[in-house]
Amino acid sequence: MSGPDLKTGLALVVEVEQAHPMPLSGSLRCDAGELLALVGPSGAGKTSLMRVLAGLMRPQHGRVAVGGEVWCDTAQGIFWPPQRRHVGLVFQNYALMPHLDASANVALSLLHLPRAERLKQARHWLDHVGLSTEQQARRPAALSGGQQQRVAVARALAREPKLLLLDEPFSAVDQMNRQGLYRLIADLRRELAIPIVLVTHDLNEARMLADRLVVMDKGQVLQQGSPAHIHNAPRNARVADLVGIQNRFRGEWLGPAAVPGQGLLRWTGDAATAAPAPVLTVRDKGKLEVGQLLSWVIPSDGIRLVEATAQQAGDFSAEVVAARHLGEITLATLCVAEVPGAELVLTLSGAQRRDLVAGARVAVRLDLGLVHVMPQRSA
Amino acid sequence: MDWQALILSLELAAATLLVLLPTGLLLGRWLARTGFVGKPWIEALVVLPLVLPPTVLGYYLLVSMGGASPLGAWVQQAFGVSLTFNFLGLLIASVIFNVPFLVQPVQRAFEAIPANLAEAAAVSGLSAWQTFWRIELPLAWPGVLSACVLTFVHTLGEFGVVLMVGGSIPGETKTIAISIYDKVQSFDLAGANQMALLLLLFSLGAVGASFFASARLAVRR
Repeated sequence: MSGPDLKTGLALVVEVEQAHPMPLSGSLRCDAGELLALVGPSGAGKTSLMRVLAGLMRPQHGRVAVGGEVWCDTAQGIFWPPQRRHVGLVFQNYALMPHLDASANVALSLLHLPRAERLKQARHWLDHVGLSTEQQARRPAALSGGQQQRVAVARALAREPKLLLLDEPFSAVDQMNRQGLYRLIADLRRELAIPIVLVTHDLNEARMLADRLVVMDKGQVLQQGSPAHIHNAPRNARVADLVGIQNRFRGEWLGPAAVPGQGLLRWTGDAATAAPAPVLTVRDKGKLEVGQLLSWVIPSDGIRLVEATAQQAGDFSAEVVAARHLGEITLATLCVAEVPGAELVLTLSGAQRRDLVAGARVAVRLDLGLVHVMPQRSA
Repeated sequence: MDWQALILSLELAAATLLVLLPTGLLLGRWLARTGFVGKPWIEALVVLPLVLPPTVLGYYLLVSMGGASPLGAWVQQAFGVSLTFNFLGLLIASVIFNVPFLVQPVQRAFEAIPANLAEAAAVSGLSAWQTFWRIELPLAWPGVLSACVLTFVHTLGEFGVVLMVGGSIPGETKTIAISIYDKVQSFDLAGANQMALLLLLFSLGAVGASFFASARLAVRR
């Protein structure tokens, strides 16, 4: 047998509801072979939820099932300790044993095997994550952050996990080494047929690696779905903030448009100005009431800059307020002439950023099919 | 040179350590991790022998373990042994007197281990007992070692409690510290000097060596 068979896992299904010691509520599902990212600001409950999955924390009410096994069901008094769960957990700061070398650290997950077999398997896993034989004999203190990370991943895999949990795995690794680790995670995601849950506060990381995102805030699961779906259709303004959607505006719902499936949205800026606000024709799901105040977002894909001379009907005039050139990209802030107070933030690259300096006038064309409206966030 | 007293002291120190080490390890480990509300009071009890005069401790031990006390009377009746003015009584007093010297450094050593190592061990499948033996004890080892040396050396130098509970019976309760005192009382300064110097050098050597070893072990991590 060359290493354990990792192709037999099944989905992770979780429901949690608790008020103490910290609020935590929501449900999620992660299929085998899928990588799910828990994202949210620090204190959002991501790590707590992960501790519930690993059996390090017992939820007030909740159920955790993995691969057909029920690990926790408070209604039935079931709570498996971590020892029984077969979870591979990569801790934020790796939690490697400082007095043991890399191979002995991995062998800890294999204590049920005879000593010789333990070391053989430990080496197998360390080879697998790309640690040289010489590095395998070193203690954690003599390894770089990225190498320690790989040892922690090997230790988690050696457990023959039915669920792999990665808690902020890149936070202590410098940018250079991250690229290699991203590749490692992407490889694992391909080769392991078990659910993988990644906790991160870095959205780019989450989008790059995950099949599905779960957005959390203040202990609550706010939304889950594919990165593209959440980015294009955040459930509410808080989610839009959390996933870093910069172009969020205010508006008022005017009711259905002449074309079925479309509605009219008045783009409101500062309340103080009396300028007639433009009305946009956008998708309508029929859930909004006439006169309802709302937030709306448009992804950057839906915003195009056009030369001021080429402005057409329906385009907006804008003035560049600030343009910060950050190496290969330029971060530009524009104010929209028709809607006082409304600012567009764009990240530009390539030739289109050439003439972008503060004070320049441009036209902005919005792809209204990508506009997503949300109920106004209650203050 | 009172060899008998020296040997008795060494025996007492070894026996004290033998009794105190397992209990002290468990107590220190528990104190390091527990969230029990009464923890400060238990810690205060642990420190008490350090701050009380040995005579106070000795007095209470005499009162509670002497032949007239219920405990002393019961032990006398059940096992036919007395708990005062013999080696057994001395050992009990010595164990109690040394609790802070062993438990405190052990507790600090366990506290210094990051809590997530035990969690990582549990997730890796290690039982609580395996985690203690394979992870926590090896990491706490430098602290445990210096606690043992400190306890041993401190027992050799015990005086007040020994005198109160044990008296000065040669071969039974007359330790090296008592012997030195007796020698000074009988103006045998040469004899007292010999033993005092021996105790001084031994204590310095033992404590120094343990600190040296702890530093080396800590670096090797």
